[in-house]
Amino acid sequence: MITVEKLTKSFGSHRVLDAVDHRQERSESVVILGPSGCGKSTFLRCLNQLEVPDSGRITISDVAVDCARPVPREVQRQLRLRAGMVFQQFHLFPHLTALENILEAPVHVQGRPRAEVLDEARALLAQVGLSDRAGHRPSQLSGGQQQRVAIARALAMRPAVLLLDEPTSALDPELREEVRDVLRRLADDGLTMLLVTHDLQLARDVSDRIRFFHGGQVVEEGRPEAVLDNPQHPRTREFMGKTGGG
Amino acid sequence: MPERHPQTRTKQPLLRGLPTTASILLLLLLSLVRVQADLWSEVQARGVLRWGDDAEGGAPYIYHPENDATRLVGFEVEFAEALAARLGVREQFVQNNWDMLLPALRQGGNFDVVIAGMERTPENLAKADMSRPYFVFAQQLVVRSNNATWQSISDLKGKPVGVLSASSSHRLLERLGGFDIRVYQDNVNYFRDLEVGRIDGVLTDTPIAQVNLAGNDRLRAAGAPFEPGYYAVAVPAGETNLLRRLDTAIEGLAADGTLERIYTKYGQWSPTQEGLRTWQPPVEVVRRQRSGLREWRTFLPMLLRAAVTTVWVTCGGMILAVTLGLALAIVKQYAPAPLRWMAVAYIEVFRGTPLLLQIYFIYFGLAQQLGLKLSAGAAAVLALGLNYAATEAENYRAGLLSVPRGQMEAALALGMKQRVALRRVLLPQALRISLPSVTNDFIAMFKDSSIVSVIALVELTKEFQIRAIDTGDYLGLGLMTAGIYFAMSWTASLGARRIERMLHHDHR
Repeated sequence: MITVEKLTKSFGSHRVLDAVDHRQERSESVVILGPSGCGKSTFLRCLNQLEVPDSGRITISDVAVDCARPVPREVQRQLRLRAGMVFQQFHLFPHLTALENILEAPVHVQGRPRAEVLDEARALLAQVGLSDRAGHRPSQLSGGQQQRVAIARALAMRPAVLLLDEPTSALDPELREEVRDVLRRLADDGLTMLLVTHDLQLARDVSDRIRFFHGGQVVEEGRPEAVLDNPQHPRTREFMGKTGGG
Repeated sequence: MPERHPQTRTKQPLLRGLPTTASILLLLLLSLVRVQADLWSEVQARGVLRWGDDAEGGAPYIYHPENDATRLVGFEVEFAEALAARLGVREQFVQNNWDMLLPALRQGGNFDVVIAGMERTPENLAKADMSRPYFVFAQQLVVRSNNATWQSISDLKGKPVGVLSASSSHRLLERLGGFDIRVYQDNVNYFRDLEVGRIDGVLTDTPIAQVNLAGNDRLRAAGAPFEPGYYAVAVPAGETNLLRRLDTAIEGLAADGTLERIYTKYGQWSPTQEGLRTWQPPVEVVRRQRSGLREWRTFLPMLLRAAVTTVWVTCGGMILAVTLGLALAIVKQYAPAPLRWMAVAYIEVFRGTPLLLQIYFIYFGLAQQLGLKLSAGAAAVLALGLNYAATEAENYRAGLLSVPRGQMEAALALGMKQRVALRRVLLPQALRISLPSVTNDFIAMFKDSSIVSVIALVELTKEFQIRAIDTGDYLGLGLMTAGIYFAMSWTASLGARRIERMLHHDHR
């Protein structure tokens, strides 16, 4: 499903990603943990080409990209169509209602008839528990509600994998649970997800596997309970101590 | 008699002195104001007669000889010299815009008299005293040589005819009615527009026609001169002493053949000029000071008609500005290098040069050099639109830049091409942000549109100018004009606020 080989990325002289490999099966849910600045967000953004890696190979579903050479825009776009993205700050389109946010890409990117997509979009809103908010603008929604719309918006494109960049970090603690709840159900339904997060509770709930990033490399990985409850690497142990088990 | 309060009594000496002090002050003030009570004695004391004229009047009145830009010649220059000599003083030329000569004279400007082809008409007599005539002129119609049919002014009914602003030709055409009158600021550009075909005729004074037809085979005089009139020296109203001296001097110059000598030199002597020697003032000169406010039934419709021109020039200009500005903003922000540089160059050039210059360039420059004959209206819309496009482009760019980066990322992450992301996500947000600046510019353009009056387009400010010069009522007509401008921009800003509120509401 996802294969990443030797992905490398530097900002100036600082090497953020150092030949990172990643392999992920269909329906598998992987969480990337790590201290700030360890390169985990950059890794996610490289996968859908919002950041341009220096070298390495990325394969998502049927699209393969060699990052050592300039990637044509159309290939970038094909990669993005297979990897949906949920941002820490939601980035909903403020001039559109919740429903229109979900309709936007299927109608204006895939060119599907609006009437056909409408039922799907309503179903997605129901899936994230926001049927009664279809006509609301993002500014009329709470952070948790906005993030749930953002998840529905990404799912509307039926991506092969959903990339989530700290989906609960911008939320007040009491709003996190509603987003966790949605993501738990998506994981149970067998959605392929790759999450970057600081939210250990979320990591425990939705991951099949946890990978711990440090200094642009994966220093530890394993079953969630193994990494969370019995970390081996000193950096992982230090991190769990500070974060306090979520 | 009521009982006096004792305290009043103590103040009495002061109060008693007050009337005396006040009258002394008043006398002092009056003497300051009336220090130039007799302009003639002032001229005598100074030994110089200062005469106002517009050196742009051109040949044969007043012009620079071809090989010397520092000297002025012309029959008016020589007349002024002869006149001053006869009065026993020297003369001094003072430059002033032609159509502001009489208002300036009235304000007590920096010249004593006006010698500028000023016609002895009731309209002018209402604004200044006028001497006996020193020149007889008539109206001459000028058309293109390649048209053999037009022989008199009535042949040009409904056609565009150029006239000098506030001239007797202008008033004659208005009185006759039924012409598409194009108003010019000078005696040069209407011949140019006649040659290129923007107008079909020019109605002007015989001296101007004569000079401009000489050696020009593209234009011809149509029919004989008609509607004779007189040029006279204008003097501030009430300066009877100076006026009498001028009358005597001019009579002398006519009698001793000085005028004939000067006018012959400039090819302006004709048998009709003999009438100068025998001229008698009309028995009664009707003098009326007109008030724009009292005669609002006459003037308000004129101003409103002109305001319609202001509205469509502004709206046309703004439509061009917002569309072109949007394209420029997108190109500057997102296009590859060579295109981007072109947009930057466009914006800097149009922002960095005066609008007035751009209007001249588009209207006269393009017609002369490229044969691109835009109508005055089209040139005005184009000039305003092209100029404001540069400003609008920067407004939109500011809007685009203030849309959070994450919006573009979210759009791209959904698989949108950049073009789609721009159209569907960035622009709708950027335009909302830019809207207040854009509507601000729209209102500003209402006022800036007055600048297009330089290209024979009578919009509100030009109409005001024409009527104010005619009536001398700058205050009343000015208030009416200001009121119309205010009504227009206020309506525009109400509309703008409504749209903003609607979008804002939409956005929340």
